[in-house]
Amino acid sequence: MFCILRVYAFFSSGLCGSQATEVRVSEVEFNPNFVSRMIPTLDWSALVQAADGLGLLQGLPAELVTDYEKNEDFLRKVHRVLLEVEVLEGCLQCPESGREFPISRGVPNMLLNEDEA
Amino acid sequence: MEPGSENVKAVRRSKEEKKLLRKQIKASHTLLKHEGISTVSQPTKSLVVANGGLGNGVSREQLQDVLGEVGEVETLVMPPHKPYALVTYRSEVSAQRGHALNGRQLQCGDQIVTLYLSYINTVDSELWGGVDLPPGLVLVEEFVSPEEEALLLDAIDWTSHDEDVTVQKVLKHRRVKHFGYEFRYDNNNVDKDKPLPGGLPQVCVPVLERCVRDRHAEVMPDQLTVNQYQSGQGIPPHVDTHSAFEDLILSLSLGAKTVMDFRHPEGRSVAVMLPGRSLLVMKGESRYLWTHGITPRKFDVVPACDPKSPAAVTSDLSNHSNLTLSRRGTRTSLTFRKVRRTPCDCGYPSACDSQQPTAPPSPPSLPRSQTDACRLEAEFVHRVYEEIACHFSSTRHSPWPRVCHFLSSLEPGSILADVGCGNGKYLGVNPEVIAVGCDRSSALLQICSERGFQAFVSDALNVPLRSDTCDACISIAVIHHLSTQKRRQAVVEELVRLLRPGGRALIYVWAVEQEYNKQKSKYLKETREQGPTGDSTDHSNQESKSLTGNATDAHNTAQDLSGIATDCTKVHRESPAKLSVHTNRTAFNSQDLLVPWHLKGGGRGGCNQGRGGDEQGEQGSKNTLDPPTEAQAPVPNTAPSPVFHRYYHVFQKGELEELCVKVRGVTIQRSYHDQGNWCVILEKTGDR
Repeated sequence: MFCILRVYAFFSSGLCGSQATEVRVSEVEFNPNFVSRMIPTLDWSALVQAADGLGLLQGLPAELVTDYEKNEDFLRKVHRVLLEVEVLEGCLQCPESGREFPISRGVPNMLLNEDEA
Repeated sequence: MEPGSENVKAVRRSKEEKKLLRKQIKASHTLLKHEGISTVSQPTKSLVVANGGLGNGVSREQLQDVLGEVGEVETLVMPPHKPYALVTYRSEVSAQRGHALNGRQLQCGDQIVTLYLSYINTVDSELWGGVDLPPGLVLVEEFVSPEEEALLLDAIDWTSHDEDVTVQKVLKHRRVKHFGYEFRYDNNNVDKDKPLPGGLPQVCVPVLERCVRDRHAEVMPDQLTVNQYQSGQGIPPHVDTHSAFEDLILSLSLGAKTVMDFRHPEGRSVAVMLPGRSLLVMKGESRYLWTHGITPRKFDVVPACDPKSPAAVTSDLSNHSNLTLSRRGTRTSLTFRKVRRTPCDCGYPSACDSQQPTAPPSPPSLPRSQTDACRLEAEFVHRVYEEIACHFSSTRHSPWPRVCHFLSSLEPGSILADVGCGNGKYLGVNPEVIAVGCDRSSALLQICSERGFQAFVSDALNVPLRSDTCDACISIAVIHHLSTQKRRQAVVEELVRLLRPGGRALIYVWAVEQEYNKQKSKYLKETREQGPTGDSTDHSNQESKSLTGNATDAHNTAQDLSGIATDCTKVHRESPAKLSVHTNRTAFNSQDLLVPWHLKGGGRGGCNQGRGGDEQGEQGSKNTLDPPTEAQAPVPNTAPSPVFHRYYHVFQKGELEELCVKVRGVTIQRSYHDQGNWCVILEKTGDR
């Protein structure tokens, strides 16, 4: 099911059609370079969708801003969503197939069944 | 003194004497039953000192002092953890005085230990230096005299003119003759309705009568199989068919000595040296559950005996420099059994053909289809790691330097995927990179999560990350868990898919060649480094070491490594497809195998630091001796720790490279051997 492979945004906070019953927000040291480097790897709309679903959008724009490397405000928002928010219990949903993947104790389970692989 | 009180004193003394005698006899029986040590009533130069063992907290110096009071001690063997010691005096007279020490008490810490001494036949110190014989197995040395031996050997006529009386077959290897009933090798059973005329040879009768008299047998056997082994011949490991014969099996060894290997289904093995003229008594678990066999060899590796050195510390079993080669001669065994008339009702149904309608489940074999492969890996990889996660993680705490080097060389902000990350050992090595891990074991990933790493459950064959996103991937000790070449290649392809052009992957897999460039890997080295009190459960699942176990393994190491070093393609297997169980810390004799893991500390439940385990040389805390106890019976071993088997395909030199060459869009940057692993660094081709 390549749709899953293609859509899953990099970190566990890159949720698509997410549901979370338990979320943890912690403080992580902000490193702008770190965040900048992560952004090109993300499926931006998937990230936005996920954050929205968690009610943690908090001003994250629907479209990726240009010149984001220098936009500290923007980077901080991304940082928060990517690194500070953890879904401890919940599930990930593939937007194409609707297939759900559970998250348990902070660990998403992305295993496919034999027939799905 | 009044006559009355004198009598009372005499009575009291003899009561004490009787009590002492009773205790001595009891100790003697316990030693026979649990340790396979048989005591004799005639004076000899050697004694067993029950309760005078390291396992009772008795120190060598203490015991040496006491024993030395009465005469010159030639050797003193104190097997680790055992509740007895074995002493040989210079002269029989001294030994007799030693025997009179019976009942002597020692102060050991805050306990009083009472010693009971009995005569034994020669201390074959190598044999007794820590052997933990399989339960039910007893070896009685010098059971027949040289004259009797000659008589018995003469009586066996290997020529074929007695075809009516005995059925003589020349098998591919050893020579065999049957008496009483013929044993059939096609169904491994006996023709119970067709007794052979003549019964058992007359010359055997005195031997059998002695067996009964010495309480090794209760009834006379009615079947005899004579095996003759030339040097280089052996017999494959097997359990004597339950339904064919009763519990007791007696085997008299004539001629040259040999080494017989006993193997427990869970992988433990004990090598027992059988001297000429000795009687092997097999009952219970050793007869019904353990397999026994003789490896076809021309030499056995046995420990060198140095009886000249006084009180030699022969309990240092890991000292391989003390080994020697013993050339095999011709050995003839007489195996006496009683034909079974009723179905077997032993307590070992898993190995019993009476209690199992079909043959016991055969060991797993190499998969022939994707489904088979998935099932094999599910049972012998994924399930196992889930069970052993905690213990496993505790033995995987030191990142390997060369892997760290690779990780540290990545640019800050690089995206790293660790496919098969386990407990996340490598995820934090370079804090400048963005690392994400995946693994099949939720239990191990839990540990990652607790450590603050990003990780998720997935299969290495289907990693849910987008293509061309990673600057680097690592897969350390993962691919060798896939059971077909196709699947192994598919993982490499998956790693390459994840890489962005110019990205690099580092792969480590376990190597057949554990010794390379004359450097033994840590995995092999560990046996040497363990001192006498070191834990060797990862070696043979015994709390105390089995010397004879070491002998075999050292032999295998020497043998197999030289074979491998010269000819990588000559990797022999037991059968084309069956997976054999590997003996930890020895060289590999097959590329596809099951490697035991001895679980400590409750697996999933308690995450205690512990030793045991298996492979790549990472150790937890030191093992300590149990507190001393006075014991006439040995402190029973705690139930053997559960053993799990993990499937591995170990790679030959060049094999990993060959695999990577088949993957498109990637070049091999480097290829090397590191600590018993074959390693490659791949680079994805294409423009950035």
